[in-house]
Amino acid sequence: MAPASARAPREPAPTNNTQASAETDYNLLRELAAVAEYIARLKREIGALRVNELCRERIPTVHQELGTVVRATASATDHIMRAAEEILGANDDSFAGYRSRVESNVLAIFEACSFQDITGQRISKVVDALSHLEQRLGRFAVAVRASDAAEPPEPEAAARERRAGLMLNGPAPEGQAIGQGDIDKLFD
Amino acid sequence: MALDLSMPILVVDDYQTMVRIIRNLLKQLGFEDVDDASDGTTALAKLKQKKYGLVISDWNMEPMTGYELLRHVRADENLRSTPFIMVTAESKTENVIAAKKAGVNNYIVKPFNAQTLKTKIEGVCGA
Repeated sequence: MAPASARAPREPAPTNNTQASAETDYNLLRELAAVAEYIARLKREIGALRVNELCRERIPTVHQELGTVVRATASATDHIMRAAEEILGANDDSFAGYRSRVESNVLAIFEACSFQDITGQRISKVVDALSHLEQRLGRFAVAVRASDAAEPPEPEAAARERRAGLMLNGPAPEGQAIGQGDIDKLFD
Repeated sequence: MALDLSMPILVVDDYQTMVRIIRNLLKQLGFEDVDDASDGTTALAKLKQKKYGLVISDWNMEPMTGYELLRHVRADENLRSTPFIMVTAESKTENVIAAKKAGVNNYIVKPFNAQTLKTKIEGVCGA
């Protein structure tokens, strides 16, 4: 066995280089700790999003309710239009016959209008679900200090560009549409 | 102004209820020869097969929008003089100006009433 002096190299005396190295190590550790804490927070916030519940329950519910609303309003519209067409098509009844036809079709119109009660409730459920989604996403964005990418994902960007090019804006929000009177001035 | 009630009219809208509404309004005005198409592509094909006295078109349709249909109609020497009224929920000024530049005869924003449609048709097609 070699003598002790040959086995253990003597520790060098502390130098400025060693201090700088220790500081660098300390700073690195601090940054790593910060990253670890951020990752832990991110995981917590992702959990709080409850994305599985959103995908399994809330969003399918929104789809279902909106689909039902579309069908209900289409059906009600069909009933109303049929009743109106029936009234307009009457041309050979006696006055009593005409009156009877009008009354029965007007009642049919009132009945068809009851769709608004049910669709209103369904839309409220959709609004409620979207409100939850908005709150969760808002909380997530704040907690992780999210910032949007400069551009949307590629397929979305292409669709958006096409819609912009063809001016496909859809109905304007309430109070923001140009009125017929203003349109008429452009054609005068 | 006297309208030619025998003139064929083409209604272009992908929403069948709206086609039905416009068809009923036209019937009340006395127009009986009314055809419809659910998008610009189908409408353009019909326009090339039959001479229409008026096109009433929505804007937001696929695969060809009403705006694209209007531009095709105005670019076609056989169709370019066809009266064209846009009836649409697109209610931004940029849409109206673009349609006017493309040669639309008039522009009605949804929802509209029967009197507006009547007035615009008389203005565009009246003798």
